[in-house]
Amino acid sequence: MKPGVRRAVALLAAAACVGGTALAQRGSRSWSSSENQPYDGRFVFVRMSYPTMIGMGFGRQGAPWAHDYPVGEANFLRILTAVSNVHANLDGTNVLGFEDPEIFRFPVIYLVEPGYWELSETGVETLRAYLQKGGFLIVDDFPYWAWPQFELQMRRVFPDLQWFDLDVTHPIFHTFFDIETLDIVPAYPALGDRPIFRALFADNDPSGRMYVIANYQNDLSEFWEFSEWGFYAIEATNEAYKVGVNQFIYGLTR
Amino acid sequence: MFESAFRLFFKYEPLVFEQGQFVLGATRSMWLVALAAIAAALYVAWTYWQLRAIESRPRAILLATRIALLLVLIVALLRPMLLLRVAVPQQNVVGVLIDDSRSMQVADEGSGTRADYVRSQIDGEGAPLLDALNRRFVTRVFRFSSSAERLRAAGDLTFQGTATRIGDAIARAREELSGLPVAGLVVLTDGADNADTTLDQPIAALRAEGLPVFAVGVGRERLSRDVEITRVETPRRVLRGASLVVDVVVTQSGYAGRTVPIVVEEGGRTIAMQDVTLPPDGEARTVKVRFKAADAGVRTFRFSLPEQDGEEVVRNNQREALIDVRDTNERIILAEGEPRPEAKFIRQATEDDDQVSVVLLLRTAAATANAPDKFLRLGVESPDELQFGFPTTREELFRYRGLIIGSFEAAAFTPEQQRMIEDFVAVRGGGLLVLGGAGSLGEGGWAGTPLSNALPIAISGGVREPIMPPIELTVRPTPLGAGHPAVQIADTEAAAAGKWEQLPTLFSVNEAPVSALKPGASLLLDGRDRNNRRHVVLAFQRYGRGKSLVLAVQDSWLWRMHASMPVEDTTHRYFWQRLVRWLVDGVPDPTTVTVAPEVVEPGEPVTITAELFDREFRGINDARVQAHVTAPSGRTETVALDWTIERDGEYRGRFTPAENGIYRIVVDGVRASGELTGTGDAHVRVGPSDAEYFDAGMRASLLRRLSEETGGRFFRSSDTALLADAISFSGRGVTVVEERDLWDMPIVLLVVVGLMAAEWLTRRRWGLA
Repeated sequence: MKPGVRRAVALLAAAACVGGTALAQRGSRSWSSSENQPYDGRFVFVRMSYPTMIGMGFGRQGAPWAHDYPVGEANFLRILTAVSNVHANLDGTNVLGFEDPEIFRFPVIYLVEPGYWELSETGVETLRAYLQKGGFLIVDDFPYWAWPQFELQMRRVFPDLQWFDLDVTHPIFHTFFDIETLDIVPAYPALGDRPIFRALFADNDPSGRMYVIANYQNDLSEFWEFSEWGFYAIEATNEAYKVGVNQFIYGLTR
Repeated sequence: MFESAFRLFFKYEPLVFEQGQFVLGATRSMWLVALAAIAAALYVAWTYWQLRAIESRPRAILLATRIALLLVLIVALLRPMLLLRVAVPQQNVVGVLIDDSRSMQVADEGSGTRADYVRSQIDGEGAPLLDALNRRFVTRVFRFSSSAERLRAAGDLTFQGTATRIGDAIARAREELSGLPVAGLVVLTDGADNADTTLDQPIAALRAEGLPVFAVGVGRERLSRDVEITRVETPRRVLRGASLVVDVVVTQSGYAGRTVPIVVEEGGRTIAMQDVTLPPDGEARTVKVRFKAADAGVRTFRFSLPEQDGEEVVRNNQREALIDVRDTNERIILAEGEPRPEAKFIRQATEDDDQVSVVLLLRTAAATANAPDKFLRLGVESPDELQFGFPTTREELFRYRGLIIGSFEAAAFTPEQQRMIEDFVAVRGGGLLVLGGAGSLGEGGWAGTPLSNALPIAISGGVREPIMPPIELTVRPTPLGAGHPAVQIADTEAAAAGKWEQLPTLFSVNEAPVSALKPGASLLLDGRDRNNRRHVVLAFQRYGRGKSLVLAVQDSWLWRMHASMPVEDTTHRYFWQRLVRWLVDGVPDPTTVTVAPEVVEPGEPVTITAELFDREFRGINDARVQAHVTAPSGRTETVALDWTIERDGEYRGRFTPAENGIYRIVVDGVRASGELTGTGDAHVRVGPSDAEYFDAGMRASLLRRLSEETGGRFFRSSDTALLADAISFSGRGVTVVEERDLWDMPIVLLVVVGLMAAEWLTRRRWGLA
């Protein structure tokens, strides 16, 4: 058996394990929205929060930035640490705002539901500095209709940068797992057509350093969150984990 | 003055007492007289002792003066004398060696130059020194600078010699005078010897032969008004674009406290300037001068100080250094055991340096029972580079010049790989940098491994528990680190000092107290925790042929990412670019070539030394090795190099350049098996040397040592009246024994008169007359 196949098997086994474990832990709420983890050098999953208008909360999970929180990252971290050597803090995750200077201690940040996202002027400055210094932003849970709002905000951050649609040859799809196709099934139809991976690069150079990857018309964390319920096919869930692992390891290493 | 006064009282010069042997020349009858005198003295003492009528104090004085008087007379009766072995006039040869080098043109000898003094002493009628010698000896006069030869006429002295090699000159004179009755060698020189070798060997030979040297020091020991660039320490080779921090040593006299600029020029362009406040007279000040080696090629960098008003020697205000600025690409492995930001930011910091390539070998997943370690490789040149992870053969590892090991536990390496890492430093001469992290140092189980031998800190002590929070450290350079080329975060030291104050704190998860530093290791950066305890942040040591460093923090990337650091700040990039370049600076090629000296005059021989190693850096001893020497005109010659036998892989040969300019020497070889060795090159600059003008003060200590250790005597130029006497009494050559009476020294009469006067005064004082 090739090592890659072995790892895929291990991934499936881990995913199944995560599902069972998470189910078992729901009562204890060990992954509830705990206090932020202090910086200690280990990898911490950082979810970005942002203010939303009153009434825009979603009944099941509150504010848009908190979709799939905290189970999505909890499951993802278990997979990430099971299959890779990332030295992650499993005691909890962080939720930080775009104006919070603490984000500069965490080189990878994660944002969802960008259709509701609006940055303050301070947030624009902070995010620009964060990305220019070497930070990496992953945008997920990204329905088709959210693009104009998201693009508008990012244009405030980088007026001169343009978006590039990535194909499967890009290194981000091969950093850890070899993703063979981007013909990925979206989590649910409301997201739009087929998922597209769009990226923003320093100096508009697609061969250079990536600032942002947007999982447009995709929702990886939906798969992560519900991997314990069996709502989605294991194949699709597995792909969502693989893409997520690659994106985070890419952000930690490039 | 002292000599005259001494002679007034003691009849002879001190020299006579130094060289003579003290004896008593009394005949038997004189001894009888002396014994009688002693008996008389005892009688006198007894009679004085019986005189109760006299007070005790005058009685004691009278007794003492009488006895002293008698003793003086007794000693005089015993005929004290000095026996001297005196050279027979005109039966002995004296070699006179005259320094004909450029430094003799320094005008610090009275109102003229040192050369003027020498001419006045040896040239024409009434030349005091040579005449005095000629009256007693047959003289043979030599001139010397870089070589020595007989001097036919004083007019032949040019004082244009480009070097002073006293040892060679003495050897030449000994050879010329061998078989003759030589009473001694007179060396007229300022002692500014600039030969590569010390005078130990010539002194030992002279001692064995019993041949004394009488050195005459010409000039002043310290120039009264002079500034000098005493030394410039530059690397022989650097990478193009290297930012150099060079130590320039400045000495001066007469201008203390004055601020002058050190100017660095290359190709006629001023590329750097650094002010220096001149130190007190005679002291040296080391100045860190920063400049960039921007252009590739063999470059001559000129360091100079402006001429000061009234300066006696201007030619020592500048020095030149030849630096081979290489346009190459040095490859470094960054082996990181876990995906973490440190490696990412190191690569980002160094990616725009086209002279250095940091190849990332990142273990993204640790081996399991079913799968080996999984690696991410970035920056590889070919698909098969490091395809199986960390190198498993020396040949593969030794291709790299630097090795950075991140948070990678010891257990991930085989024992052979661990030995290879140690040998990478000790044998291959590579640069090793170990980063802090949960899998590093003692916490990574490296204690007791071969790698731990190479490290600058001892990691055999305790380790931190993984659950302990990291130690937050305020990082600052040590005094050594502030000026060290490996720790540069700005273009100037002042700018760097300000930046250090603003840098955010870093974190360490490793136990690395300052007390863990090994003897011989150097601490460049230290960190203070909240309890003000000092920890090692960056330390290095030489190990074998290479060097090893420890950067015991896990997140230097915070110097880039931290909220307090502006986007445009270059601290992190500067730090890593300089550190990585220094890591591979001086790492040897499989074939290395050195030349000695690196600057020569036309006609002076140059020694080529080549070290040849195979791909595993084992010395090659079976090769036919040649040096292809290309002169500035393009003319080439081939010089065969022979294995020295002293060291594996070391070959040596010589050539003599004839043209001014830069010579290039390329060495290659063919092994007995027919396999070609690697090639290496070096350069030598041929041209007029200013070496004579440096440290140009008269070196009395050197000349005194040369004289006294050979049984001779050191004279200053102002006081050579006794030179001929000193040679005469040295006991060398054809000699006769002379007796010099001492009983009739004026001092004896004075003592007798003094004692009698003391007795008379005592009697007058107490009314005993």
